[in-house]
Amino acid sequence: MFRYLVRRVLYLIPILFGITLITFLLFHVVGGNPAAQAAGKYGNEAQIRALEIEMGLDKPLHLQYVDYLRQIVTFDFGRSWSTHQEISTMIMNGMGPSLSLTLPAFLLIIIISVSIALLLAHYRGGMLDKAVLIICLAGMSVSSLVYILYMQYWLAYKAGIFPISGWDPSWTGRWEYVALPILIFIILSIGGNVLFYRTVFLDEVLQDYVRTARAKGLGTVRILFKHVLRNALIPIITLVVLEMPLLILGSLLLESFFDIPGLGGLIYSAIQNSDFPVVKAMTFIGAGLYMIFQLISDLLYAVVDPKVQLR
Amino acid sequence: MKPSRSLWQDAIRKIKRDKIALLSFFFIAAYFLIAVLCAAGILFPNHAAPDVANSFLPPSSDHWLGTDLFGRDVIARASHGTVTSLMVGLIGAGLSVLIGATLGAIAGFCGGVIDDLIVWFYSTIDTIPYILLLSALAFLLGSGLNTMCLAIGLTSWVGLCRLMRAEFMRHRDREYVQSAVALGAGPFRQIFLHILPNTLQIVLINFSLSFVGAVKSEVILTYLGLGVEVGTPSWGMMINDAKQELIRGVWWNLAAATIFMFILVLAFNLFNDALRSALDPKLKGKA
Amino acid sequence: MRSIFKVKNLTLFALLAATVFTTACTSKKATDGENTLTMSVSSEIKSLDSIALGDLYTNRAGSQIYEPLYTYHYLKRPLELIPALADGMPVMSKDGLTATIKIKKGLLFHDNEAFKDGKGREVVAEDFIYAWKRLVDPRNGSDGYWIFEGKIKGLNEWRDKVTKGEADYKTPIEGFTAIDSHTLQIKMIKPYYQLVYVLAMPYTAPTAIEAIDKYGKEYANNPVGTGPFMMKSWIRGNRLEMVRNPNWREELYPSEGTPEDQAKGFLADAGKKLPFVDKLVILEIVEDQTRWLNFMKGQIDFAGIPKDNYDTAIKDGKLSEEMTSKNIKLDIVEEPDLTYTAFNMEDPILGKNRYLRLAMGHAIDTETMIDKFYNRRAISAQSPIAPGIDGYDPNYVNPNKKFDLEKAKEYMKLAGYPDGKGLPEIEYSNTSSATSRQFVELFTQHMATIGIKIKVVTTSWPQFTEKLRKKKAQLWGIAWSGDYPDAQNFFQLLHSSSISPGPNAANYNSPEFDKLYDKALGMPPGPARTKVYLQMRDLAVKDAPWIFNTHRTTYTLDHEWVHNFKIPPISHDFVKYIRIDTAKRAEKKKDL
Repeated sequence: MFRYLVRRVLYLIPILFGITLITFLLFHVVGGNPAAQAAGKYGNEAQIRALEIEMGLDKPLHLQYVDYLRQIVTFDFGRSWSTHQEISTMIMNGMGPSLSLTLPAFLLIIIISVSIALLLAHYRGGMLDKAVLIICLAGMSVSSLVYILYMQYWLAYKAGIFPISGWDPSWTGRWEYVALPILIFIILSIGGNVLFYRTVFLDEVLQDYVRTARAKGLGTVRILFKHVLRNALIPIITLVVLEMPLLILGSLLLESFFDIPGLGGLIYSAIQNSDFPVVKAMTFIGAGLYMIFQLISDLLYAVVDPKVQLR
Repeated sequence: MKPSRSLWQDAIRKIKRDKIALLSFFFIAAYFLIAVLCAAGILFPNHAAPDVANSFLPPSSDHWLGTDLFGRDVIARASHGTVTSLMVGLIGAGLSVLIGATLGAIAGFCGGVIDDLIVWFYSTIDTIPYILLLSALAFLLGSGLNTMCLAIGLTSWVGLCRLMRAEFMRHRDREYVQSAVALGAGPFRQIFLHILPNTLQIVLINFSLSFVGAVKSEVILTYLGLGVEVGTPSWGMMINDAKQELIRGVWWNLAAATIFMFILVLAFNLFNDALRSALDPKLKGKA
Repeated sequence: MRSIFKVKNLTLFALLAATVFTTACTSKKATDGENTLTMSVSSEIKSLDSIALGDLYTNRAGSQIYEPLYTYHYLKRPLELIPALADGMPVMSKDGLTATIKIKKGLLFHDNEAFKDGKGREVVAEDFIYAWKRLVDPRNGSDGYWIFEGKIKGLNEWRDKVTKGEADYKTPIEGFTAIDSHTLQIKMIKPYYQLVYVLAMPYTAPTAIEAIDKYGKEYANNPVGTGPFMMKSWIRGNRLEMVRNPNWREELYPSEGTPEDQAKGFLADAGKKLPFVDKLVILEIVEDQTRWLNFMKGQIDFAGIPKDNYDTAIKDGKLSEEMTSKNIKLDIVEEPDLTYTAFNMEDPILGKNRYLRLAMGHAIDTETMIDKFYNRRAISAQSPIAPGIDGYDPNYVNPNKKFDLEKAKEYMKLAGYPDGKGLPEIEYSNTSSATSRQFVELFTQHMATIGIKIKVVTTSWPQFTEKLRKKKAQLWGIAWSGDYPDAQNFFQLLHSSSISPGPNAANYNSPEFDKLYDKALGMPPGPARTKVYLQMRDLAVKDAPWIFNTHRTTYTLDHEWVHNFKIPPISHDFVKYIRIDTAKRAEKKKDL
């Protein structure tokens, strides 16, 4: 086990390098001149050049890359071009709101989807199955904007059940603002999730051991939850764990419409404002998180299924 | 003795029997027809002519889904939007499949250092969040239809690459390939003449999935401001404009784009499902 | 399917859901009775550093925190300058080159940790000079340095030296001196009649060096000013909260105004101490729908009307039923504003071909534009002189502006491109927003009618300004809001000294225009100067570096519990005059 872990971590290092290389190249070419940005709208050539020297942009490319690596190691992503805040601070501030939206939604989605999928696996092939299939696919084919616009209008404005937008940093106050976005998030994701879990459970339910268990006289419920679920855990874990880094990135659209100051909104503004240090930092963090969770997923996989050999 | 059926013949038979699959296929074909007719200027040739006096007319017998800001018939605009979406789907998905399949084949077949390099490359790309990579590329290449296709193609190939690599690794040592080698087949023949045909079903399914993904990505890219050129009809633009139109009661633009996209995506999803059941022998008997 | 797990499952789900949703149903009513004004801005506030208060919304936020030497009388129209931090109007020397300004005594900076014992100290003349040096220091990248550029003795030299590292903030600038702790003296290179106007912009507010020393780059998030409000908290991109400054100087609500003010109730609070509200909340809401819904629910006390919500709010130029039934009021302000389409005069195709530019000017249907995009809340602009400014003539008709397709086609022939034959595609640089996209689409359609093919290239705002700076754009649309009521503010956009990387992005270079401009700069306001302004106008009309589109009018809606709401054009420090009837709000909000 330990050797596997070490090997996997070592394997991550070239990937990490790859990511820094790609983000550096991409944003260096794409990002425009940071000195020009800093010089303001009317900066002239002389000022820009002076700033370039100050920011170390006159050094050859490979030396700038080394600088970049040093920054990453110390978690110093520099300052945003548009707000001039320290990017690390912005990220720390944004995580809370994003997670307050995505984490509860995520948990609820899992519980609801798994329950529905188990139900469907049991009643497979029938009218219920087909109906739910169509509903899920239909739901997934409608653009998220439609859900957001209409639900905000009807549930928040017209019916007054939820606030229209906004955010309260306190731990008790925030739930009221995050309730409708969570609801919409669930509705947006449920279709895909139910379909996925349904396929997974179907794979299991049709296995021989289920028929054997039933022949032995075990109740449906017990079969479903004790046996099917456990065996289906592997692909489920894979999916669930891999989706977790996305939770931290928040939901771009929801945060922007409901004014929640999370990381999703941060990325959205950064893209709109060509704020490349921020986009660069978020790319790196997103990638880093994904790698960590991939590792966790692999480990859990190995733990849950003893048949899996650790190459 | 009846000749045994190949995988493909079997699949086609299955699909012909599945009513839902047939219906979806019919719709997909219809969309392509509409797109071709629109692009050729036969269907709705005047979709772009502005008639500002009649802007935002509600649905009526003249305009079944009303008119837009510039007085143009919404159904005409949405139909022409089909051209945009299908192009994005075809080129974007096509590019992604091409890259993914090629790199996957090479990696799986060659093994060794080349394999390691390709795996490193796609692991890196895969780890970077999709939206960020997409917008970075879109910025680099500028906005517009062509660059959107390019950006989508360059960012969504990893899934197929992985699958193809696995498949090629599996097939490489199979008997039929070994016999070909014994008969003097070089790597090129092995890849293209022998292994690839056996993996085509994976490519097809993947293409179908990527197609849907590309069409949906168009809407998101447009929201981020990285969409098609101003004036080109597109469902993404119609949906985005709806943000402001809905509150003044203009729902028909959004409805048209949503319906058009919805039917296409639904048809593709259903067809995909059927395709997968038909082509994957292990899934026999599942809904 | 009854089962233990299922029940456990359901209970868990129900519990989670219940917690989330019941807290939602209890919307906070506590704040309705608070003496707070809530407003919203439609784009992010960039920074609260006084030297960064460039765009409209950043300015609006910053103007409550910072105060310059002068400001405009809240009620009097036309706008009249009055002292804010200054003690009286500036005393000019005979030759008009020296201005001596006294500062009020006892003005205090906001209490802040940057000061000893956290107590804000008294403002002295040096604080202004320090602020102005920061403003013009090229390393700070402020967009506002132009207000002093080339006009103050020794300033440009200081700027150059500072860039090369040969000078610092201790190095004196001849044009800015503190005669004593409360007297400033400004020495100009040539007479600069707009100086007082410029000293009314928050760019010139005094800055405490202690705050810059303490916060450094974070000063943009920790502003220290002298204004009626102090920053309390700021969730960037989301919510800015300010509270009343307990140490603010005394200022009373004005007792005079225009003849209509009495009837409108704007003088009811005459003589009372300002500010009225204890707290100010600014919500940064980018999405129109979100902002509008919040206003209609009473969560925001006043708001502009997004183009797509216009028809619900205004019918036939008056408030609609829906608005009047909720006792919502309307405030209309004509800003000195100009939207225009600019040509890059250095572009080989557009810059050298006047007939081509004239053809395009005649092909634009401004009335349709005003109808569809401004809901008729604009007038067709005939010149760069906006309403309310010297030289504005409501009856003047620009001979090159009329929507006349025949004339346009004729000009195309004269330009050498009959019906557009032989003319390559022209690139229009656009920024991404749904409205600007639709706007540009209309423009493209207009151009197509005379055979001109337009290719629209959409980029983000920073990429757009970069293009302008590098002179790479051919054609684009932009707006300019007057910083003060003097046409010079608009004309400087056409002076050769402002050519890219300056605000003259059209790169218009006319020695004749420059001469007239420099002449007018040295003339006091009056009929003689206005005559020169008109000459400049005629020249700009003839050379057509811009197609003048519209002058916009701002419509703002406010709720019935908002009193003294008469937003002036140009200045933004109006929050201190507004009074909220908190009892009424608590009562009426429930019904919305």
